[in-house]
Formats: sequence, structure tokens, C-alpha cells
Amino acid sequence: MPSKAKPRLSRGVLDMKFMQRTKLKVAKEDDDEQSRALYSNELNTKMLNSNSNFIIEPSYAICEGLIDGRLSFRGMNSELERLMELEQAEKEGKSRPEQPKEVSDKEMVEAYYTNKAPAASKTMGKKFNTKNDNHKRKSNEQQKFNKTQFKKPRQDDDV
Amino acid sequence: MSSVMSIVMPGERVPAVEDVAKSKRIILGPGLRRVNDTVVASKAGPLRHREPNTFWVDNYQRRYVPARGDLIIGIIKAKSGDVYRVDIGAADSASISYLAFEAATKKNRPDLNPGDLLYARVLNASPDIEPELVCVNSNGKRGKLGSLQDGFFFKCSLNLGRLLLRENCPALKALTEKLPYEIAVGVNGRIWVKAHSAAETIGLANAILSLEQAGHSEIDKVCENLGDVLQA
Repeated sequence: MPSKAKPRLSRGVLDMKFMQRTKLKVAKEDDDEQSRALYSNELNTKMLNSNSNFIIEPSYAICEGLIDGRLSFRGMNSELERLMELEQAEKEGKSRPEQPKEVSDKEMVEAYYTNKAPAASKTMGKKFNTKNDNHKRKSNEQQKFNKTQFKKPRQDDDV
Repeated sequence: MSSVMSIVMPGERVPAVEDVAKSKRIILGPGLRRVNDTVVASKAGPLRHREPNTFWVDNYQRRYVPARGDLIIGIIKAKSGDVYRVDIGAADSASISYLAFEAATKKNRPDLNPGDLLYARVLNASPDIEPELVCVNSNGKRGKLGSLQDGFFFKCSLNLGRLLLRENCPALKALTEKLPYEIAVGVNGRIWVKAHSAAETIGLANAILSLEQAGHSEIDKVCENLGDVLQA
């Protein structure tokens, strides 16, 4: 069975704070599998393999494409009219009005090159280095690396 | 929306829909049922069609049948335990949890009393269990849902409610030209209106009710006269 072979996360991991969404997902998968197992002997091949051309939709609202029924006109309820406008804008495909840029493209480029475009310049620079340069750089890095040490986080840091 | 004007009766086969179903996938709305490979009408009324592939029967009806996702107006009937009982005009009363409101917690309950009006969404609808409502969207935000204060409330047929909610409905536009107002239309045939004065509100309600007998085709003509109804 493929489900057995699938790696599972332990409960301890799932209980962690940042795993809550995964936990929900896993719970749902488990649920689905259980219900499938429950009804598996009730389903026959015809039920599984038949594909019908009919979709049943019991709601008039969806069939007719009705709009939301809460409306306000000419400033009767300004809060509501703002919501209506937002919805209208979304429908017309206009996403939110573009946010003004805090840093212009030109400034960005300048700042990028004053910082020497860190990643790109390094990789391209490597091509033109001699072996001697390479060796020097490595030993430099080693020193730097040795200097940085693990610092134990304080209790109140991780909030 | 293109409307094929053919009247179907309950129990009648609908070959027009069957023909379309042979070539592509179709959506059967209320009033149409699939029996093996045939489509049979279960309500009496004009058969309607909306592009690309939706069919339903637009019958006259005043009893609401809950369907998931519908936006409805309900009246709070009672508090019981962790839920409010809400009358939504269906065969069974609906329930809405205390926690199904924006920013509601177990301690901070919404202040609702019997008789209050709610504009809510149907979360669960099944023939076997009572319908469940919510007043928040999936992000926990209120949006347009919630209780309706002041204003005037009246009932009408389900058809009138749906008529007003069609896209580009001329009726609401015609009324907007006359006066500023606020409205909530539930697909369960309940309407709540609010204008600046009581006289205006009542006039608005009368104007809307005068559309009750208007068909899809003559609605434009009726809308031209809505102003007169408002004055009366």
C-alpha cells in the first residue's frame, strides 16, 4: 500500500507551533483515507468508473449567477459602498491600485552596485582569479569562519 | 442570460437538456433531476438556460429550500445553548453559532436578541439536518454579513428576490435615481430596505413589491413607472 510507504511526521513534530497548518493537512488526509476505507466495500466498480455528464447544483444563486444581495446606493452606507467598489474593481480584473515604490529602480541599481552586487561579482570574479588568489581567499574565509562562534540565544529572543 | 421559453411540468422529460448533455458536461439546477440517462423536471415553470451549460426551472415558489452558499435574511427566534435559532423561511429553522460572528469569542458574545434580523450565508444545507448559517467569511471577516439595524423588512416570493439580484437588474438602478437607500435581498424571499425617512422606506418597499408580477421581459417597462409608485 502506498500510504504505508509514505513517511509520516511524528506527533511531537506536528505539535510544534509552526507545523499547525501541516498538522491540519495531515489530519484531513487521515480523515479522507479513513472514510474511503469505510465505504470501500460499499462502492462497486460501476460507481467508481462511471463518469456522468451531469452536475447537480441545488442553489439558484450559483445557477443564475446572482450578485450579493447587500447593496447601498448614493452614500446611504459608506462602509458598504466601499466594499462594493472593491468587489467591482476585482471583478473588472483591476487588482489593487499599484503601490508607489519607496525605492525607485534607478536608486536600487545604484545601491546594488555600490554594494558590489555581492553574489554575481563574486562568481564572475572567480573566473579571472589565478590559483594563487583562490588560495589566499580561501584561507581568509577560513579565518573569518573561525572567528564566528555559536552564540546561545537568550530565552526571550524567540518571540 | 438567454432564456429558452419553454414550460416544463413535473415528471416531464426534458429532451432539450438531454441533447446538450450528450456532447458536454452540464449543470442541472433546481427543478431538474437526472434519472439514469434522462433528465426529468421536478417543478413546474419556464425552463431557463445560462451560458455555457446551466439549466434550471424558474418556478414560482414562496417556500425557501436551503442550499449551500446562499445569502439569506433570517430572523432570530431564540437563544439555545451555544446557538441561536433562526427562521429563514425554510421547512426547518436554521442555527447559527455564537462564534460565527466577527471577533466573537466565548466570552465576547454577539449582542443579538429574538426578533433581530441577520444577513447570513448558508454554510450547511442537507435534507436531513437543519441548515447552519455563518456571518463571517473564511478569513473570519464580516464583509457584508451581519445583523441589520433599523429599516423595514418584508417577505416576497423567491422569484422576486432573485429577479432583483440578477446582474444589471434595472429595478434597483431605477430606484437609485429616485432616492438614496440601502437594501438587503435574501434569496429566501425576504427583503430589508432602509432609506432616510420612514415614508421613503415604505415607498421603496411598495415599489419593490409592485415588481412581484413582472416577468423578465416587461421589467424595463415597470421600472419606468417605479417613480410613480414611490410618490403614492
